[in-house]
Amino acid sequence: MEAKQTIAPGTEARGGGLKRRLAVYGQKYGILVALVLVCLVLAVANEYFLTARNITNVLRQTSINGILAVGMTFVILTRGIDLSVGSVVALAGIVAASLATTSSTAGVAGGPYPALLAIAVGLSVGMACGAVSGVVVSRFAVPAFVATLGMLSAARGLTLLYGGGRPVPELTPGFRVIGTGEVAGIPVLVIIFAVVFLIAWWVLSATRFGRHVYAAGGNPHAAVVSGINVRRIRFLVYVISGGLAGLAGMMLAARTGSALPQAGIAYELDAIAAVVIGGTSLAGGVGRVTGTLIGALLISVVNNGLDLMGVESYYQQVIKGVLIVAAVMLDQARHRRE
Amino acid sequence: MKKTLFAILATTALTMPAMAQDKPKIGAAVYGLNAEFMQIWSAALEDHPAVKEGLVELTIFDGRYDALVQQEQFDTMIAQDFDAIIFVPIDIEAGAAAVDAAAAAGIPVVGSNTRVNSDKLKSYVGSDDVKSGYMEAKYVLDKIGCKGEVVIIEGPIGQSAQISRLEGNMKALAECPDVKVIEQQTANWSRAEAQTLMENWLTAHPDTIDGVIGQNDEMALGAIEAIKAAGLNVTDFAIAGIDGITDALLAVKAGDMASILQDARAQAQGALDVAIKSVKPDYEPMSDIWTTYSDMPWNGGTDAEYSVPWTPVTAENVDALLALRK
Repeated sequence: MEAKQTIAPGTEARGGGLKRRLAVYGQKYGILVALVLVCLVLAVANEYFLTARNITNVLRQTSINGILAVGMTFVILTRGIDLSVGSVVALAGIVAASLATTSSTAGVAGGPYPALLAIAVGLSVGMACGAVSGVVVSRFAVPAFVATLGMLSAARGLTLLYGGGRPVPELTPGFRVIGTGEVAGIPVLVIIFAVVFLIAWWVLSATRFGRHVYAAGGNPHAAVVSGINVRRIRFLVYVISGGLAGLAGMMLAARTGSALPQAGIAYELDAIAAVVIGGTSLAGGVGRVTGTLIGALLISVVNNGLDLMGVESYYQQVIKGVLIVAAVMLDQARHRRE
Repeated sequence: MKKTLFAILATTALTMPAMAQDKPKIGAAVYGLNAEFMQIWSAALEDHPAVKEGLVELTIFDGRYDALVQQEQFDTMIAQDFDAIIFVPIDIEAGAAAVDAAAAAGIPVVGSNTRVNSDKLKSYVGSDDVKSGYMEAKYVLDKIGCKGEVVIIEGPIGQSAQISRLEGNMKALAECPDVKVIEQQTANWSRAEAQTLMENWLTAHPDTIDGVIGQNDEMALGAIEAIKAAGLNVTDFAIAGIDGITDALLAVKAGDMASILQDARAQAQGALDVAIKSVKPDYEPMSDIWTTYSDMPWNGGTDAEYSVPWTPVTAENVDALLALRK
């Protein structure tokens, strides 16, 4: 909570006039306002946008990037970055799929194994990748950009080695539940994302570990002085990001029905975009996972809306670019005020 | 100076045994080995009788989807005095310089699978993408009775396969003026991207889409997953893709889609036969593909172009094709 107080603009706003107060709220809730505005425009422009089925689609299309972005939020809060998540998506996806396939050529001997076992292995693979990046960053003081760039390449190579470059098809129905199942009309993908988000929100806002994450990113020296094991925190955030990338990779394989070695290429960029659009500062220590959720939703809503209206997909990329830069400009403006 | 001398010695040492054995050194430069199609292609090349019997020395270079990497691999092959090169370029234009360099060094280059915009190619062994685009669209249009609404999921705009397959799609569509193309966008050959696109299209056009023309199998499979996720019946749609990847064969078997098989094996082994012929004038082709495809006569290995026919995957031949993948 200390972290939130350092960015809370309340004290400043109290003295200012209405205009100033609006400006402050605009910065704090700007991204939410943007999301609501975009939704309103789309609701007017397209009759299908607000249908239950389309809302379900948007949530489904947000889930995988959303989970990656939640993990990325932890990392960025500590002033780090995790460029490897796209490759970890592919590696964990293909390893888990090889345990949960009925294909005799692509599967691990003796398979298919129970879905839960495959999922546990996939999560472990993701966490192991994260742990390696985490050790390199926290113990050997290698910049996160470099350490995870290495993992981006290594994990992609391991994916190709593991599967001989071939996809793993014919996944068991039990495994596919995480990608295609529904509970009371809500896709399992969305339920998993909601659970991950809620846990992350709770961890960051109500636990000691969460406070330490903010402290380690906000002012590492002060954090060390006040007795926080910053190295341990830096290590753990990569394990979290890796584990969530593993989970996302399995969800992707289960959703598309096949684990592809070229899955997840450039997914790290969308995850970072969601975090940055959501107002988390790349300088560390400032940001919220609720912002990340809104950032991820905004990206999906824009893509979905343009698809619905039959606009060429190239515009989606341009709009995403504008959103990223606008969000950081907002962040910079906030920094200057403080 | 010392370094140069060492380099000369090293290259001499490397090239000496090859000359002594009189075994043609053939290099295959392919654009990338990450996807299933080029893996099947490479495996077929290594499985060619001339390679297995040790009549030629074959090296496969992975271009890693980068025109510059391919260019450098050509330089390497020229420096090592390869006798012939089989080339599958990443880009129709960027590959031309590499072919020029090899031709200048007197090394014949045989194209395979993907075209390159160069008149220095010795020969080209590939399949005509316009034909496959026409065949898949024709299947979809026949199935919906030449009227209704279809969507086209395209490859990366500007890639030669996307351009040619679209040309074929449009040729078939021109024969059915009552069919309306209500959406047409790229999903970059990607299953996940096509799935998202199709989910959104199903929302934007509820109950009106009759057919899906996917310019490759991956994207057609993505559309199938989107239809299933929307709780709709896949058999209510006419869906087709191209390439004949394993997942698509399984989907054909399940009755979900149609696919047009691109014969990677014939493209690879045919190109190797032509390449060996260009080095050894008395060579006779050893691959069985020349007897399989009577429409593609050998003609002494001197044709400028060999067009490997496409094979529609049907319920009848799908099991046999799947057995080949084991």
